[in-house]
Amino acid sequence: MKKIWTIAKWEYLEKVKTKTFIVSIIITPIIIIGFSILPTLLSDEEMPRVKTIGVIDTSGTYFNLLREELEKYKIEDKQPQYILINLNEKNKPFDQIRDGANQAVLRGKLEGYILMLAKSKDSLIVEYRSESIGNFKDIGRFEHAINSARIQKKLIQEGIEPELTSFIQNKIELKHIKLDDEDIEAKQDFLITFFSSFVFILLLMMMVVYSGQMLVRSMLEERSNRLIEVLVSSSTPEELLAGKVIGLSSLGFTQIFIWFLIGLALAGSSLIPLGAFENILPMLVYFILGFLFYTTIFVGIGSVVTNEQEAQQITTYISLVLLLPVVIAMPAIQNPDFVVIKIFSYFPLTIPSVMLLRLNISNVSDYEIILTILIMLLSIIVMIKISAKIFRIGILSYGIKPTLKDIIAWIKE
Amino acid sequence: MLVVKNLTKKFKDTIAVNNLSFTIKPGKIFGLLGPNGAGKTTTLRTVLNIIKPTSGTISFDGKSISDEYYNMIGYLPEERGLYQRSKVIDILAYFASLKNLSKSDALFKADEWLKKLNVSRYRNKKIIELSKGNQQKIQLIAAIVHNPRLLILDEPFTGFDPINQQEVKELILTFTSEGKTIILSTHQMELAEKMCENILLMNKGSEVKSGKLSEIKRIFGGNNVKVEFSGERKLIDGMPEVLKFDSYNNYSEIHLKDEVSPSKFLKQIIQKVDVKHFSVIEPTLNKIFIDLINENN
Repeated sequence: MKKIWTIAKWEYLEKVKTKTFIVSIIITPIIIIGFSILPTLLSDEEMPRVKTIGVIDTSGTYFNLLREELEKYKIEDKQPQYILINLNEKNKPFDQIRDGANQAVLRGKLEGYILMLAKSKDSLIVEYRSESIGNFKDIGRFEHAINSARIQKKLIQEGIEPELTSFIQNKIELKHIKLDDEDIEAKQDFLITFFSSFVFILLLMMMVVYSGQMLVRSMLEERSNRLIEVLVSSSTPEELLAGKVIGLSSLGFTQIFIWFLIGLALAGSSLIPLGAFENILPMLVYFILGFLFYTTIFVGIGSVVTNEQEAQQITTYISLVLLLPVVIAMPAIQNPDFVVIKIFSYFPLTIPSVMLLRLNISNVSDYEIILTILIMLLSIIVMIKISAKIFRIGILSYGIKPTLKDIIAWIKE
Repeated sequence: MLVVKNLTKKFKDTIAVNNLSFTIKPGKIFGLLGPNGAGKTTTLRTVLNIIKPTSGTISFDGKSISDEYYNMIGYLPEERGLYQRSKVIDILAYFASLKNLSKSDALFKADEWLKKLNVSRYRNKKIIELSKGNQQKIQLIAAIVHNPRLLILDEPFTGFDPINQQEVKELILTFTSEGKTIILSTHQMELAEKMCENILLMNKGSEVKSGKLSEIKRIFGGNNVKVEFSGERKLIDGMPEVLKFDSYNNYSEIHLKDEVSPSKFLKQIIQKVDVKHFSVIEPTLNKIFIDLINENN
């Protein structure tokens, strides 16, 4: 036991001091924060300003309705954001009007113009023409305004009272509330719950990839310079294995913990919807078990790979399995009792991530939680034994890549 | 005392070590010799308890291998390398604590050895900043810092300059007076010759020859003398007692028939040429090694 502790401490302290670790601790949150903030920064960059929008309406009936709708949007000082200009001119051919509008846009006199072509009685073709395409916010508003104007116009034509028209246009949004065992409404929003599981799964995957690679790399170093021989002549391979797993797991958790603190400090609790984790205890259990399970797999891999590239490839493939819930998330939400999902929630490689997902989207019985945790524990024990055997032999065979047959023979030995 | 009995190790279809037995008494250096691929490393690894033998037993001081055994062994592997980015003192303290030394003992012993081998100034340096020879010294200290009773040295002299080689040789010799049991595996025959009392020569996994070095030399000695003389060469070359005559710049080596005693031979040649030097040559371990392995192959 003492030696396990010595090895764990060494692995932890030596790695914690490395530049790679320190850099990854700082760089990763910066990248994540950058990614989440950048789009908002970019879209908000544009100062709200008054925009002049032309309207060509061949039916000649929409302009007032549209203006009414779009003048609701105000910027500072209660100025309207959009000023609409009716480009229709009597006795002027349509082509000329359109060409004139095009010129106005190109010369910068107009931000753009809305072209409405009435085809038959109730059919319209609408275009928004401007120099730049892709201002989704404006286009979204125009679309909404046009539709609303269309409906309003029709309703008025049919003689329906104006109060009714606004009622008809109001949409009801369906809120989805998850019930827990006692049939009490859960407080949190479904979406937050759903994405909080994803946060957990992603964290797990990042940790597994990061620590897995570190573990495999350190084992490669020890194998290539034969230090491993000194180590296994000082402790049993099992002690060495356990020490490494514990040391590097602590490293992974340190990293997550620091990121968590950074997140808290930067965004307050709003970034991490703590309230969403009503199942925090079983989630943590799955998280830790999942991490340990994957780490022991990586020890086995670290004992047979012969170079870093190979190591990286295998690490990536294995961690991709953790992303399975992303693929099955939709069917899982639609039908949490779907057989395939049930199967995945009893398969050791996918238990942690699938259960992290299921815990938050549906009610999982205590019996299932206990059973899957037991499966995980058992798998970890079996994996440690298998990895220890591969480790014991693999670490001493240098430069030769063992075949699958060799590895199976080692396990049986 | 290390006792290895009928040690056999098979890998798949190949027999790496075949029925090897040897005993090493405390305070003695035991030379494990053999060409590349002879099975030396496998033998060492089984003694180190890194791999389990297919059959046979290994015991140290009457007890078979246990966890306690790990703390008594010191091992210097043939290929060197330490954690390149770690500090000298940290590595030494780590290895010492892996051998169950307390933290303070580990640091104390490590410092003591750094001083003894004149590398104290590198105490807080990273391994990568050290010269190859100094890295070797650190690795040697890592093998002995916990005062092991059984010391296994695989090619301990490679990479050292002649001065350091001398230093290391003397250090190893002091270990014998402390009663340590030492296995030395090397290709440097002159050094093995100077240091080992007993040797085991192996080839293709099996023992070729083992025993006291002096005894082996006596048996393999042949009957060689070195002579420096002035006079006509053919006066000696043509003698019936001479089997082979090798002439070098300043002296000649003469292989005599087995029944001829060197002293009688000397009396005879004194009458023919002017003898300036006469000595009986023992065969070098190098020669014995080459002859035996060639014969075995």
